[in-house]
Amino acid sequence: MRRASTWWLGGLLLLALALAQPSPNTPPPDFSPEVFKIAGQLRCPVCQGESAAESNAGIAVEMRRIIAEQLAQGKSEAEIRAFFVQRYGDWILYEPPVRGLTLWVWLSPLLGLGLLGFGLWRYLARVRARALTTASDVSEEEIARLETELQSPERQP
Amino acid sequence: MLRFWPVWVLLLGGLFYWGLQRPNKDELQSVLVGKPAPSFSLPLLAPYRAQYGAEMGIQEGLGKPVLLNIWASWCIPCRTEAPLLERFHQQYKDQVLILGVNVQDSEAEALKFIQQYGLTFPSVYDGRGRIGIEYGYYGVPETFVIDRKGTVLARHAGELSEAQLRGYIEQVLR
Repeated sequence: MRRASTWWLGGLLLLALALAQPSPNTPPPDFSPEVFKIAGQLRCPVCQGESAAESNAGIAVEMRRIIAEQLAQGKSEAEIRAFFVQRYGDWILYEPPVRGLTLWVWLSPLLGLGLLGFGLWRYLARVRARALTTASDVSEEEIARLETELQSPERQP
Repeated sequence: MLRFWPVWVLLLGGLFYWGLQRPNKDELQSVLVGKPAPSFSLPLLAPYRAQYGAEMGIQEGLGKPVLLNIWASWCIPCRTEAPLLERFHQQYKDQVLILGVNVQDSEAEALKFIQQYGLTFPSVYDGRGRIGIEYGYYGVPETFVIDRKGTVLARHAGELSEAQLRGYIEQVLR
């Protein structure tokens, strides 16, 4: 009984310790949600696969601080985004604007779909044309012979 | 469709070759190139105040080319780069200002760093990395090449080799 009680308490303690650890992806709770909403639209320059809201890199922390200060100064979201674009270029935005080189990012999927549709249309058109050609090539004699063969089971019974 | 397979091979081969010729996608161009360098003034680290004053930075009308080097004591490539910068500072100190910006660091660690490598070119302290963000930096080390008119000529991300550093020096002295 003592052993069972000890194991149970040990397991409970480990579980408590595990749950007490904060998730490594949890952003530090030091700014308002609006700061993280704007930072979520910006890329972290160091950890480029993460947003400035998620990253714990020093630059991202400072970016969040800058966003908080500019919000306190009454600047709008668009102004804050322009602040970072001015220093890092369009690359810093997770949704690049539709202009210049980034225009292709928006257009290439549409082009791809267009090419796919065109390819399918051409393939189906070719198949249909080939079917019509084959049908018109069959002579009257062959049609009669085929009809005769189709009727042959009736003669047997 | 497979009837014209040589054409497909040539097309894919050409695409592959074009892909190889493209520049490194990780090398992001700085939007500051060709624009005036952002002005700033920051406190110098203690050992440099006797020689350079309390603060230092980039101002308009400096009349001297600047190599702005963003570094941190916790940065491993910065330790390889520091002796190189010091050697070039000794050689070109009259013509080019090599100015270090210590970012996101503690002042004690920064002092230990410059003492360890015997750095005599000035470094300012940017504890929160604000000036680094003004320049749009991605990490440390990073070097901005600024001509005597105050225009940013180039941004070098990562560690500098001697050939690269010499190339930048010759570029600003031209």
